[in-house]
Amino acid sequence: MKTYGGWAGKVLRVDLSTGRSRTEETVDKYKDYLGGTGIGYKVMWDEVPAGTKPHDPGNKIIFAVGPLAGTGAPCNGRIAITTLWPTCAPKPLVATGHMGGHFAAELKYAGYDAIVIEGKADHPVWLSVADGKVEVKDGRHLWGEGIRRTTAAISQIMGPEAVVAAIGPAGENLVPMSNVMNSISHSAGGAGSVMGSKNLKAIGVRGTGSVRIGGNKDEWEKLVKYHLSLLGANNQHVVPNAPQPWAEFWSPGTRWVGSKGRAWGAAAPPIETGTCEPHNLNRIAYRTNNAAFYLGDAAWQYTVRGNGCTGCPIRCHTMVKMPAVASKYGISEMGQNTCMGLLFGWVFFKSFPAGLDGRANMETCMVGMHLADDLGIWCNYGQLQRDFQKLYYEGHIKAKLGEKEFKSYSWDKYEKGDPSFLFELLPRIAAKEGELACALGLGTGYLLERWSISEAEWGKDHDLAYWKMGHPKHHSCEEVGQCGTLINLMYNRDPQCHSHVNFIRNGLPLQVQKKLAAEIWGAPEAVDAIGAYTPMHPSKARMAKWSVLRKELHDSLSLCNWMGPWVASPLKERGYRGDDSLESMLYSVATGDKLDRQELDRVAERIFVLHRALTIRDMGTKEMRARHDLIPEWAFEDESGKAPFTKGTTRMDRKDVETAKDMFYDELGWDRATGAPTAEAYRKAGMGDVAIELDRRNLLPG
Amino acid sequence: MGSGCERDRSSSSASGLAGAVGLCSRRQFLKVGGLSVIGMSALGPLLARGAVKPLIIMEQAQGIVIGDPTKCVGCRRCELACTEFNDGKAAPTLARIKVDRNLNFGPKGVFAGQRGQGNWGNGLVVQDLCKQCPHPVPCADACPNDAIVVAPPVKARVVDPDKCTGCKMCLRACPWEMISFDQDSGKATKCNLCGGKPKCVEACPAQSLTYLPWRDLTDKVPVRTAPLAALSPEKSAACQECHKR
Repeated sequence: MKTYGGWAGKVLRVDLSTGRSRTEETVDKYKDYLGGTGIGYKVMWDEVPAGTKPHDPGNKIIFAVGPLAGTGAPCNGRIAITTLWPTCAPKPLVATGHMGGHFAAELKYAGYDAIVIEGKADHPVWLSVADGKVEVKDGRHLWGEGIRRTTAAISQIMGPEAVVAAIGPAGENLVPMSNVMNSISHSAGGAGSVMGSKNLKAIGVRGTGSVRIGGNKDEWEKLVKYHLSLLGANNQHVVPNAPQPWAEFWSPGTRWVGSKGRAWGAAAPPIETGTCEPHNLNRIAYRTNNAAFYLGDAAWQYTVRGNGCTGCPIRCHTMVKMPAVASKYGISEMGQNTCMGLLFGWVFFKSFPAGLDGRANMETCMVGMHLADDLGIWCNYGQLQRDFQKLYYEGHIKAKLGEKEFKSYSWDKYEKGDPSFLFELLPRIAAKEGELACALGLGTGYLLERWSISEAEWGKDHDLAYWKMGHPKHHSCEEVGQCGTLINLMYNRDPQCHSHVNFIRNGLPLQVQKKLAAEIWGAPEAVDAIGAYTPMHPSKARMAKWSVLRKELHDSLSLCNWMGPWVASPLKERGYRGDDSLESMLYSVATGDKLDRQELDRVAERIFVLHRALTIRDMGTKEMRARHDLIPEWAFEDESGKAPFTKGTTRMDRKDVETAKDMFYDELGWDRATGAPTAEAYRKAGMGDVAIELDRRNLLPG
Repeated sequence: MGSGCERDRSSSSASGLAGAVGLCSRRQFLKVGGLSVIGMSALGPLLARGAVKPLIIMEQAQGIVIGDPTKCVGCRRCELACTEFNDGKAAPTLARIKVDRNLNFGPKGVFAGQRGQGNWGNGLVVQDLCKQCPHPVPCADACPNDAIVVAPPVKARVVDPDKCTGCKMCLRACPWEMISFDQDSGKATKCNLCGGKPKCVEACPAQSLTYLPWRDLTDKVPVRTAPLAALSPEKSAACQECHKR
């Protein structure tokens, strides 16, 4: 048998019901699905029957990476976690969460491409994976502990280099809105309670092995440096957000915030980020500071440095130091996170004493991170906090809670924007203490059901950003028109796809974007300015298809879809072109299995179509168009009454969106009437067996 | 005596220096295969019995990699560049720059907790780097096969894989624990400064590593371990000849 590089070679299976583990050969069994979500969907399809519930012992949870994890390919630090999603409503379906940090690489160095957790332990345990030594250990002394203490305790046993993915009390208590977290701040939302249901507190991994590059090492070095040369800042924003001496363009909205005069102020001594000239590959880490991007210039003085995942030069997890919070709230002065993790506490509140830009919002972020990242509470991309605001200010909370419980919260503190309110709320969510905490912990879908609020009401509210099935939009029509809308139809939670938005928000002027779009998706009409949309066009459907395929490809190869793809670059001499073949080049040299862009995209399509098949099988209907690919009402409305396709509105047109679906289904070879893949589409994806199984269940169109 | 040296070198392989050096006076140097060794007359009786090898004094390295912990962002691209571009595999435990072990808790380890360094502490990530030691070169002294030699063009101390038998004595000898072991080849390996263009320096996205003219950091950087067990009693005795107070 051919020996490939890239893959570690083994998939580890641990049955917690028996305490036994075994391995299988990755390449033999899963090469056609690469890794990551590919392995996850395949295991779910083959082994977890329709009708299984998320917390059943029969559900499995798959931690999987691909051939690029642990290598020097830039941005390879994320691991995909696939399971039945407890917050997916009205019926839990397959979905994935993704952790950055150092777990992905460490798993590879330990010799595994995936860990499949099966069954349920009869008492709390944790899993120790130290190279070839796999042990299910008694975890009773860790049960009830926060993620931080759990991690420290396991590190004391396994050594300081071990990477620990743990759940907090929220996951233990089967709170659906819970996460699993490694390396302090790198979480995968939604999967915590599935681990909790298996009595699995944590997985500690220590690997001393290696990932072999299958191809020529000099070629690999050249390729890695080429990839680095095309990188922008976080989300592959390729234009700085302030004028720089080298830059032809600048755009105030980008995440390329490094600049002369801006410094990591809490480093000792402070470090100026400088002009971050794009050809200087030794300054890539200074381009991004997500604390400053989200919280404004005030965050620079608290910035210690950038942090992030293994092998990623883009440090999107900003580490901040705020001594004031130690004395004020009794929490660590150090904090770190990115995006919604960073904003976890802040977005609960509508107002702060000194306004939204005051220092209090930063303190609120510190308190939020301190609590949520230890208790293991998931925010559902901010839906938890948006729901909370709406429920409070519209009187739902007062109406649903008994007087005693209502009065047990300091609502005056909440209204004033006092972060100490979070000490009252968050531990109760993790402990399922009281009606409010229980309801919030369910996730939006089941919360609405419990409190007899119609989903349609939630779907009407623009600011709420709720999309469907218990989850919010994630870069939908508000940023990427029809393409964003289509992507938000496809998944069973928020889609977590950045292929499209990373391009739209990269900071390049529209005319440059259109030129690149014509090369990539066949026509300049593929892209519009945000809020100046034009009617549906086949190139938009191509862009949408490309976006989801790249997402699945990244999630399976282990590249970060929060960073890639890299089809635009900061390089003027390239006309700002990136390279759409990076993924296939990296795959080919890392594994030694040569596939070109189209061939690898076909593998990505197989993975994506398998996700669709799982959704159809587990929903028990092929009527995806009517029952799954749903759009909330707010997408079709404009608060000031502007018509679709007029400047200044992101409003979609109903008929146009139906055209968009037609074109998108056509691109994939799916049936227009049902939105389900045809038997032919499955066969073309190399999954004739899936078609046969669905046909047996009468779930094939036509 | 000079002729004696010449005569003996001709009959001595690089790994069989002991006999040759035994004939040289205390101040005479002999260069064989990139190695400089000094024999000491005081060791005459021991050497005559062939019981020990002489202490090894090497030409000074020309360069050294210096790390700035305040700038390290903990991405470990240095470890990956070191091993992928030199060895064709991503293998942090094999890397000759060592960041991972300090990444989470700092050099004091997990029990330092949040009062320590690293991602769990104050954020500082110390990059452990080879000092390219002047005499004594602990790893070279400890090697029973004289497999640690000076290599051109920048005179880094490197492991000669042909001579290395994988005994790991050098791993125990380095006070900074900078020698790595390649599990696949069964041999030790250490920083060779990549011939003067260190891959780690090139790979750092935060400019936290610098390649500079060699300077002696052996008395400035705290050691990680007490390397007592690695040196034979005879060699220890020999050391005391020069280093006695």
